Amino acid sequence: MTDSSTSGQGQPPVLQVRSLHAGYDKLVVLSGVDLDISRGEWLALLGPNASGKTTLLHCIAGLLVPSAGSISICGCSLRQDAMGAKGQLGFGCAPERLPGLLTGRQCLEVYAAAKSLTTIDADVLELAEAFAFTGMLDRFVASYSLGTKQKLAVLLALLGEPALVVLDEAFNGLDPASALVLKRHLRVRVSAGRCGVLLATHALDVVERYSDRAVLLLDGRIARVWSREQLAELRAMPGEGLEAALAAASAGS
Amino acid sequence: MGVPQAGSLPAGIPRRLARQPHLAAALLRWRNAYHLRRARFLSVTALALALVSGLLAASSTGRVLEWLAGNPVITFAISAGLFGLSAVRRQARIQADAASSWLSALPTMSSPLIRLALGTAARFLAVLIFVGLAWVVGRVTAAAAALLVLVTAIGMLAGTLGGVRLMGGAAAASPGWHYATVYRARRRWATAPSLAPLSYWPLAQGRFFSRPKMTSRVVLLALLSIPAGRYDVPGQVALAVAAGCITLATLLSLSAAAVGVAGGAARWLAPTTVRLWTFVGAFVWRVAMKQAVILAVVILLACAVDYSQALRVGVKVSVAFLLISCAVSSAACLWACNQTGLGAARRGA
Repeated sequence: MTDSSTSGQGQPPVLQVRSLHAGYDKLVVLSGVDLDISRGEWLALLGPNASGKTTLLHCIAGLLVPSAGSISICGCSLRQDAMGAKGQLGFGCAPERLPGLLTGRQCLEVYAAAKSLTTIDADVLELAEAFAFTGMLDRFVASYSLGTKQKLAVLLALLGEPALVVLDEAFNGLDPASALVLKRHLRVRVSAGRCGVLLATHALDVVERYSDRAVLLLDGRIARVWSREQLAELRAMPGEGLEAALAAASAGS
Repeated sequence: MGVPQAGSLPAGIPRRLARQPHLAAALLRWRNAYHLRRARFLSVTALALALVSGLLAASSTGRVLEWLAGNPVITFAISAGLFGLSAVRRQARIQADAASSWLSALPTMSSPLIRLALGTAARFLAVLIFVGLAWVVGRVTAAAAALLVLVTAIGMLAGTLGGVRLMGGAAAASPGWHYATVYRARRRWATAPSLAPLSYWPLAQGRFFSRPKMTSRVVLLALLSIPAGRYDVPGQVALAVAAGCITLATLLSLSAAAVGVAGGAARWLAPTTVRLWTFVGAFVWRVAMKQAVILAVVILLACAVDYSQALRVGVKVSVAFLLISCAVSSAACLWACNQTGLGAARRGA
């Protein structure tokens, strides 16, 4: 099964993945993934553990070279024009990958400079304030809790008004108040057409309430796609809704 | 279909280790490492064997061993110092494990004493085998070898007991948790984002590497190898040599930190548009500056002793060291960028 975006509006999709194959040495993780995300769309990437979600995100971030297939970000091929593609990308790295021996402020400054920004975006600073992160800015990242590292990873991803925001389990470790702040912030960005969001997650409430579409990745292939309307139907259903649909789709495959 | 039966211990692990999960886990870790990276494992073993063979073949090894046997007080001091340090470190690791290990919640008594004794015994066995081989190949006499083993054993006992006693008090006094505090925190934003703070990462790692805890072995060996008062070595020269060792350890720690951290930094910044040489420059320059400052201070101090010699030799050695250090750090950055795709205009074939 392939996924294709419904809201093209004449612009190239912010993310276009075609026939993507990737793996580690002899281990094949992704085999023939197709994915589109438009500006103003929030796509949730679902799947059981070891289904290839993080591998897909790493391919999109250019951290892993796919064995076949293509990835374009805002029309820039990651293979032909890596810098052009990365210029439109905001990638939330895993919290454990953050530099433990820099302070949060230094991380933001370095990352902003690495994205060729002249200032740190005001709304990222506002989000930091809303996260109650400002007090942590001058401490070493190594002393942060998981949730605090997660906040920093998200702030880094949102620097520079990226057209495509890619987040991996971004709500892991966040306290409920901060999680709500982040969901609303992303929703505002997406609704204003400022970016498209690709979020790999197991948090089904985020998928039901905030995502525009959801795809299920099973054994390195896209096994099921839920449209905005189908997600709305699942939300309206009493009981388990998406959880049951997800279990049925996983079992069916 | 019934649930398959599974044993409670992996195959090949002795049953008596069921009550020693730390040892069982360590054994499995070694076994898995061997299966996973057999080539690397065997090449490291071959290298170690080659090194030992080379040492045994060298005639100076015999002279050193004979000298050590002839100076039992120094041998005892070296043995006690090294085994004491080892005991302190091992016990610190055991205490840290007790607080953070995935096995610490198990209802088993994993005896710290056994873990401590095994590590010490393994080190002593290595010494025993080396001295035994030296005796077999005729580098040292039987009497000298026996004396050397005996003095080392006594030093081992004294050092280990001292180390255990030292750490026992420290453990009771404070838990092993601490939060690092930021040195000279800047509580406002820079006028413009800059890659400059990136260079603090290898510096901080270098400080971590050159902590007394990490360099104590090198410094201890250096101090013990200076027979102050013998062979007309004045005290100030002995001190200068010790200070030189500490300085060299600091300089090398900075280079090692730059090499060690380059991969993590490149991976972190890989999804951005930072250019290859901008990254390399930002990463390496402060390490090089710090090393240059240290070397300049050393040359200045040496000038007080011998002005012309310090300038003639010191400047040449310093420049060579800086060039080599920069080249090695830059090579590590370039390799890391190549691995992660940082700064690459194209990614993939």
